[in-house]
Amino acid sequence: MPAEQHIMGIFRDEDQVITAVHDLQASPYRFVRVNMPVPSHKIMEALNLKKSRVGWFTLCGGIIGFLAGFALAIFTATRWNLIVSGKPIVAIIPFVVVGFEATILFAVFGNVIGLLTQMKLPNNRWLKYYDPRCSGEHFGVLASCAAEQTEALKDFFRNQGAELGEFNQLETTKP
Amino acid sequence: MSESETHTTASPKFAPLWPFVALLGVGVATFIYGLSSAHPAHAWQTYLINFLLWSAIAQGAVLFSAVMHMTNARWSGPLASLSEAFTAFFPISFLLFLILFLGQNHIFPWLHEDLHGKEIWLNIPFLFTRDALGLLILYGLGCGYLYHALQLKIDPAQTGNKIRRMIVNAHQSNALTPEAVKRRMTIWGGLYILAFALVLCLIGFDLVMSMDPHWISTLFGAYHFVKAFYLGLGALIILATIIRVRQGKASVLTPAHFHDLGKLYFAFCLLWADFFFVQLLVIYYGNIPEETHYVIVRAMLAPWNKVAWAVFFVCFVGPFLILLNKNLKTKPVFMAVICSLVIVGIWFEHLLLLGPALSHGAPTIHLSVADGLISLGFLGLMALAVGHFIRVFPETAGLKGTIT
Repeated sequence: MPAEQHIMGIFRDEDQVITAVHDLQASPYRFVRVNMPVPSHKIMEALNLKKSRVGWFTLCGGIIGFLAGFALAIFTATRWNLIVSGKPIVAIIPFVVVGFEATILFAVFGNVIGLLTQMKLPNNRWLKYYDPRCSGEHFGVLASCAAEQTEALKDFFRNQGAELGEFNQLETTKP
Repeated sequence: MSESETHTTASPKFAPLWPFVALLGVGVATFIYGLSSAHPAHAWQTYLINFLLWSAIAQGAVLFSAVMHMTNARWSGPLASLSEAFTAFFPISFLLFLILFLGQNHIFPWLHEDLHGKEIWLNIPFLFTRDALGLLILYGLGCGYLYHALQLKIDPAQTGNKIRRMIVNAHQSNALTPEAVKRRMTIWGGLYILAFALVLCLIGFDLVMSMDPHWISTLFGAYHFVKAFYLGLGALIILATIIRVRQGKASVLTPAHFHDLGKLYFAFCLLWADFFFVQLLVIYYGNIPEETHYVIVRAMLAPWNKVAWAVFFVCFVGPFLILLNKNLKTKPVFMAVICSLVIVGIWFEHLLLLGPALSHGAPTIHLSVADGLISLGFLGLMALAVGHFIRVFPETAGLKGTIT
């Protein structure tokens, strides 16, 4: 079976991207993804993606960190039972500093773990068919089609007002 | 300047302002009644709380526009223009400050105290002169920033009252390019931001911290201006909600705007709590009686400890937990309710900071309907100022069409 061909349309305007995405979804070509230089609420709404679960990882990490931070401070303070400046052994006010920092730290860990697991990283598929202009000020809409439809897909993007992407493809042959 | 889409019909419809005139009337009448009662000091205390609160709202809201311009932010869109409407309260705030002079005997507990050398700073002539000068500079810079900001968005084809015609004439006679106007806005905006920090620090020290003249917290002034920005963002969300609800789907304000502003509001909820906590931690660890008595009276002893915990939950814990959710931030009415509760909470926070010093060890907190009515009077005053501004300059609310 002939391999699918991937074509990327490079846009400068997010409204054109939205139009292209809608037209692509109604076309016989397969929509793959949109690369954005900045987050765009409009494009993400147009893509109608499933809600990401990464936030839940972050929240769980934060809750675990909050509890762990206080637990660490309370545990270590009670190992020594030293009264310092007349303060209680378990002193909530200074422990808030430890708890807060641990909340942030573990929330970040949760976020990273969420990103790695939900995006199935490390995976070089995000680097395949990537035009570096998408890290600048252009949007890239990636679509795939059968080999014989390549020119038609290129015309589709040109009609949408896009330039065609130039890929820095990774070596895809297996060792 | 980017063109905004035309969403509205020919004539923008404005809400009637007479209810706010009524509120103002009720507030003024209650205040005057309070002055003639057996406890005029209480009326002045409420006046001071409201003056600080509503002035901070206006100052913080205008800061948003200046900050957006200075950072060349694009995400705020019409929100930055909308926040300029609060400049209308600046002259009113200045007059309200001058009126404070009349209540000096009831407001400043240190007037007849031995201040151990602090008389050089805490004396009525110097205090009122420096604070009036500071507010004059702050409000002057704010109005200067507004003057240029309006030139970028005003529709010269629409005539209006004298102030609008003055701006239109200035715009036409200056013949400045938009880039030149933006450069001037950068200068005025930058100076406003600097003055905001310095003047509000001064106001925080003079009108709040000095009520307990032997207590010092170095960060108190900064705490006051962070609180002002927190309040200003909340008021902006409320105003944006009102505009959005009145305009419906035709509004230039989208859920994404509320989401982004909600995130900034969440950040300042944290920052406000953080500036409070930073002061608390230092006082806690230092454990110096001259410093701790202020916190102990307000946070640990009846009757003020209940107010302290209520403020903590209403202004920090509640908004923190609620605003973690993305969807809730995109709902304008819900955000407006949260912000309104926070503003009420900060009213009580001002009561907490000022009350123990001004009530001189009273066993209960003296709150009555009169306090609520005077506060509603101030609300009416703010609504009249902002509402009238939007009527005169509907472009700030993203409205086009015949000005009625």
